[in-house]
Amino acid sequence: MTDLRPAPEVDDQPAIPVPDATFGVCDWLRWAWRQLTSMRIALILLFLLALGSVPGSMLPQEGTNAAGVAQYYKSHPTLAPLLNHLGMFNVFGAPWFAAIYLLLFASLVGCVVPRTFKLAGSARTLPPRAPRNIGRLPHSATYATSLPPGPALEVSAGMLGGHGFRMRHSGDGERWISAEKGYLREAGNLLFHLSLLGILVSIALGGLFGYKADKLLVAGATFTDTQSDLDEIYPGRLVTDSDFAPFSIKLDSFSASYVQSGPQLGQPSAFNADVSYTTSPGAPVKTDDIQVNSPLSIDGAKVYLIGHGYAPIFKVTSASGQPEYNQAQPFIAGTSGDFLSQGVVKVPDATPEGLGFSGVFVPTAAVSPDGTLESVFPAAANPRVSLIAYGGNLGMNSGPTQSVYELDMAGLKQLAAQPHVLSQGQTWKLPDGKGSITFVGYQQWASFAITHDPGQLPALICGMGALGGLLLSFLVRRRRVFVRVAAAPSGSGSVVRFGGLARTDASGGFEAEFASLAAELRAAHEQQAPQQETGD
Amino acid sequence: MPVPRPKRKYVVLAAAACAAVLAVVLSVSAFSSGGGDVTYLDGSTTAFMYDTGHQPLAPDFSGATLTGTPVALSSYRGKVVVLNFWGSWCVACRSEAPTLSVVAEQEQRKGVSFLGVDIQDTNANALAFDKNHDVIYPSVSDPSELVVLKFSSVVPIAATPTTLVIDRTGHIAAMIGGAASYSELTSVLAKVTEAS
Repeated sequence: MTDLRPAPEVDDQPAIPVPDATFGVCDWLRWAWRQLTSMRIALILLFLLALGSVPGSMLPQEGTNAAGVAQYYKSHPTLAPLLNHLGMFNVFGAPWFAAIYLLLFASLVGCVVPRTFKLAGSARTLPPRAPRNIGRLPHSATYATSLPPGPALEVSAGMLGGHGFRMRHSGDGERWISAEKGYLREAGNLLFHLSLLGILVSIALGGLFGYKADKLLVAGATFTDTQSDLDEIYPGRLVTDSDFAPFSIKLDSFSASYVQSGPQLGQPSAFNADVSYTTSPGAPVKTDDIQVNSPLSIDGAKVYLIGHGYAPIFKVTSASGQPEYNQAQPFIAGTSGDFLSQGVVKVPDATPEGLGFSGVFVPTAAVSPDGTLESVFPAAANPRVSLIAYGGNLGMNSGPTQSVYELDMAGLKQLAAQPHVLSQGQTWKLPDGKGSITFVGYQQWASFAITHDPGQLPALICGMGALGGLLLSFLVRRRRVFVRVAAAPSGSGSVVRFGGLARTDASGGFEAEFASLAAELRAAHEQQAPQQETGD
Repeated sequence: MPVPRPKRKYVVLAAAACAAVLAVVLSVSAFSSGGGDVTYLDGSTTAFMYDTGHQPLAPDFSGATLTGTPVALSSYRGKVVVLNFWGSWCVACRSEAPTLSVVAEQEQRKGVSFLGVDIQDTNANALAFDKNHDVIYPSVSDPSELVVLKFSSVVPIAATPTTLVIDRTGHIAAMIGGAASYSELTSVLAKVTEAS
């Protein structure tokens, strides 16, 4: 007897044949492919991927923490070269890591694609022929109607069609209908599998074409999303210049609010970065208020506020009054929260020789008993700077790129023995005709993380698709009903046999549905029955 | 029930899908490496000349020089222009400055114009730089790299400094990424002034 139950969900792949002596090259390749695409191997690869990322988070990585790697080399002189050989300082770029995720990708694609085709096929197949003996089905009903067999079958078809059943009709000579409902289950399953593939592709897209970048921006300044204007860029493998959306953002103002009293004194309560931006040169200017958890979405990229601080403005003039430097220089605060910030000022074009200053900025100053500057509140109520001046060669005319937060001390000589404290507007005249430096004021700066992940939206859509598909395939059940109509033995009217079944493992509630369908079918037949019969 | 037979068709289809993905990735990476249309200068990976017929049109820009004079690139049409993106803070720009001054001095006599684009800088710092390095040509003030943004849709500006040589018709003939050397700059200028 043919299996009348609706097709079960596509189960695991056929059993993998065991290699034996008769295996040729093609057999071995097919065997390897089946192994790779089996659920077991996919799970093992997934586990290996997780295991492989562990050293990536335990050990310092070259791309993100080069200094940490150098430190590790110092503290573990014998172990570090060995680890380096294994790619442990660049785990996510290591060949063995790539091997794992490429195999996993191949395994998932190889597993999901064939299933997708099977499911698509199974969603299209028509129900089987109606069984000869409907009474043997789990649910069945038999009754007589005064309708002749032909019209009785037509009425049944109309009723089942009205309920959205997909029907298969008998050919000439027989009178039966097979009908099936619940194809959404297969459609859901299909959606789930396709979405799974979509998620994989989206993640790959994001990894290849996405980028992350950082930018520190002083209030009043503008930055453009170009490789040369961003401070740090972590691009994906296939990122080119054209992947950087041509937007520019101006930080109009930055404000940080702090708790003014109570036990939370000095704790930040709000950060607002008011920006104006254009999506491309010449486009209309729009404004936005970027807050800590409310990034700016711009042209496929997201701009997050990740930090802030103070940039004291200094003016340096030569002894003869020539301006040599005028800039707001970002200073970086420590972790203590009082915004005692450190930074350097480089004046390579000063005369008669280059000038360098290393300084401390405090937003609300208090002088401690031993004469050093202390910060008592993070807001700038009483800003002061303390500077140590150096003269000589800053090492900026040749050699490697310099950090803007460090002086290259090799060619510098300290000009005055003591640090010099300046409040806003004050000028320090340097000794020996080296010019003077003025603490003009300060600006606030904000730092932003720009992330562009072209795979994010597709991944979200595919994720929702996968969830929806999964729900459909859980909640919808496939069920089949059959109608056979035969002429009544008495000669007038006919006998209707109606039967149904659902997948055994998800048939809860089908009994009630079948009963109501049967009642409806019977009512339809009675309603259509010839008048003289009902009139008698 | 018949034992399900392995569906070879699906295996083939899956392999084809993998191959298609691989082909797309490879073709995209081949595209992004940008081969063709340019000829690199001898021994350089960042300095190249565009092949004849492939020179992109330089976008026009206008702005103010460090001393406040209005300037527009279009007003240089008909002349060969050396456009140098720089900043007083940039070590490579400072090491390049003496070379650039020498070349500017000798080429300006032959009718080549030099124009700087001072990026991420303040006018005071940049003017002190110009004075210190005896720079004889003007620079447009571009603290927020708006000029760079216009050019980056046309040429792959990734480093500071970057030097572009624009021919008499306003097309970009050559790009030198990073500090330009005397020989690079003079050989490019010889070709561009001769050709147009």
